[in-house]
Amino acid sequence: MDATKPKRRRKRHHTATEIDEQLFVSHFINLQLHFVINKDELNLLVIVMDVNPIWWGQQAQREPEFTLSKCLDAVMVMGNSHMAMTTTNRLAVISSHFQDSHFLYPCKNWTGGDGAWDGTMDEAPYCGDGKYELLSVANNVVAEEMKRVMSTTEMKGNSTDTLLAGSLAKALCCILLKIVTFFSAGQEMKSRILVIKTAEDCARQYMNFMNVIFAAQKQNILIDACVLDSDSGLLQQACDITGGLYLKIPQKIALAQYLLWVFLPDLEQRPQLVLPPPVHVDYRAACFCHRNLIEIGYVCSVCLSIFCNFSPICTTCETAFKIQLPQMMKSKKKKLKQSI
Amino acid sequence: MDEEPERAKRWEGGYERTWEVLKEDEFGSLKATVEEILFQSKRKRALESHGQVRLGMMRHLYVVIDSSRTMEDMDLRPNRLKATLKLMEAFVEEYFDQNPISQVGLITTKNKRAEKLTELAGNPKKHLAALKKARDAACVGEPSLYNSLNLAMQTLKHMPGHTSREIVVIFSSLTTCDPANIYELIKTLKSLKIRVSVIGLSAEVRVCTVLTRETGGTYHVCLDESHFKELLMFHVKPPPANAQSECSLIRMGRCAHVCFSQTLKHSQTHLDSTSEVGLSLGGYFCPQCHAKHTELPVECKICGLTLVSAPHLARSFHHLFPLEAFRETPLEELPADRFCHACQGKLKDKIVFTCPFCSGVFCTECDLFIHDSLHCCPSCINSQHSN
Repeated sequence: MDATKPKRRRKRHHTATEIDEQLFVSHFINLQLHFVINKDELNLLVIVMDVNPIWWGQQAQREPEFTLSKCLDAVMVMGNSHMAMTTTNRLAVISSHFQDSHFLYPCKNWTGGDGAWDGTMDEAPYCGDGKYELLSVANNVVAEEMKRVMSTTEMKGNSTDTLLAGSLAKALCCILLKIVTFFSAGQEMKSRILVIKTAEDCARQYMNFMNVIFAAQKQNILIDACVLDSDSGLLQQACDITGGLYLKIPQKIALAQYLLWVFLPDLEQRPQLVLPPPVHVDYRAACFCHRNLIEIGYVCSVCLSIFCNFSPICTTCETAFKIQLPQMMKSKKKKLKQSI
Repeated sequence: MDEEPERAKRWEGGYERTWEVLKEDEFGSLKATVEEILFQSKRKRALESHGQVRLGMMRHLYVVIDSSRTMEDMDLRPNRLKATLKLMEAFVEEYFDQNPISQVGLITTKNKRAEKLTELAGNPKKHLAALKKARDAACVGEPSLYNSLNLAMQTLKHMPGHTSREIVVIFSSLTTCDPANIYELIKTLKSLKIRVSVIGLSAEVRVCTVLTRETGGTYHVCLDESHFKELLMFHVKPPPANAQSECSLIRMGRCAHVCFSQTLKHSQTHLDSTSEVGLSLGGYFCPQCHAKHTELPVECKICGLTLVSAPHLARSFHHLFPLEAFRETPLEELPADRFCHACQGKLKDKIVFTCPFCSGVFCTECDLFIHDSLHCCPSCINSQHSN
């Protein structure tokens, strides 16, 4: 039998989506084969997307290849793969704006309740390519809601910082409701939050943010962070305290790859993978008088405000402090020489 | 010492017709009343608030656990001592969660002597280990209130004036064996501004009543295990500060964590323990003297600087800026088919809660979560006008 020469294949450039699909499939199969997945547990992934229109508008001018729709595509690839891992995985997507935070999926406007959680849908759109219906429903709903949110939100007020603390608070309450519902049905639920951050931190949200982080830590909910533009100290602290992963992406176009490789595995599978190492978290606080970052400072014992220099009165709570004065030594009486 | 009139005892008061609280509806079921009672008990904790009172944030607390013969009684399962130790573990964890810059120490008393189980420390691991080991200890002899208070006082009197000095005694016996006059000791405790509270497990003992009244603490006797837990958890919240306590500026160093440092160094905190190996890769460096420590918050052993990290201080902020209780409104007043603003679930309870600032509507579960853990209103922080 003649050995047939292997035909030379014509090289063609794979498009980004094809590469992503191949990667997704191989990664998905690897995870399924190597790790045992507990079927009785529900895994809820909440994705909080930062859709600050000012940053995205500037981004569209800086790098036209990576716009909000491309980012949303990458996020939905990750969401779909999470839901496709087992039937007990659930997804929720929240968009974080500077006016308000909205639940993109599941959305009460569409199903009129929380029908999407149970996987029962009244009219599933026919998607034609044989995809699992839940995935196509999720994609459509997210796209529709995002269009609605971006077109109907008006500019009110003059603050342009993303309300990240508010979105996280809503995510926590939503997770809690699901825990209560499913716990009464006898199922356990594990959840984590993935934050995709674009704009910069807002210093005014510090206290609310810390409250949310501590509440998440108490409920054993991980907070992961995927940062596109500038480093965020608040999110670094959040990931450190709750035990999640923090990653600043070097190339925005490859967002889908980073999401799938780093953020898709859940807590039990992470120790078995080699993931990006933890970053050095800067825990220095800013002093209240100059807003400088200080290492050694003075803390008021009443209101816990931080100062860089000693001052006799606390500016926040207006308590007067006791100043440690050096002790007065009594002068010794000199014996007068008796003049003879 | 007892010029104040004592409050009337329970048996001296009139009859309370407790059965009249339960009312049956037309089908004879008590479901509505039971739900109402559960709902009220959930709301009870949320309604208490200190208001604008200065709280003692940095606390030094000693817990005295009675280990005498009466602790082998089985009225708390499995016996009083084991139940107490189990609740103490939960207490220690919750305490450090709510007061991260405070310290706790443990003392046990039996055989007419008092013994320190652990020193005052700011890290929960040692206390939890000691509590687990104490489960196997035998309960013998009589407790000594004088000796245990004296032992605690020796350490507490050296603590700086701006911290709050407290002792909580879990007392189950009806007797105490003291080498000297306890009323003198009570006077000394009062002059040192040490606040003593007692949780009784058997019955009210007059010496404890006088002790708590003079020093400004509280005295309760527990009825059952859940009541015991409630009384113990009451001491987790920071108490209102004494009017005479000094306020001062405390010098503190804020440390950044260094991972995978280049040189292996002996950690200063490991010098005391002989069972752990003293070398570790990561840790915290004191900003003043660069001595290495493995855990925070701690006082640097070389230069004496208090070391904390910013989240420790941030954990206490919600005591200083407490969230106001929400208004209750019945469901009928709202337009139909409203959703809870926090969790997006349908509102099913008869009573819903409204935030007075932003008029956001929340269901009962979310309200409990907001006031217990979150400490900020989700719809207020979702609007631009929050600070």
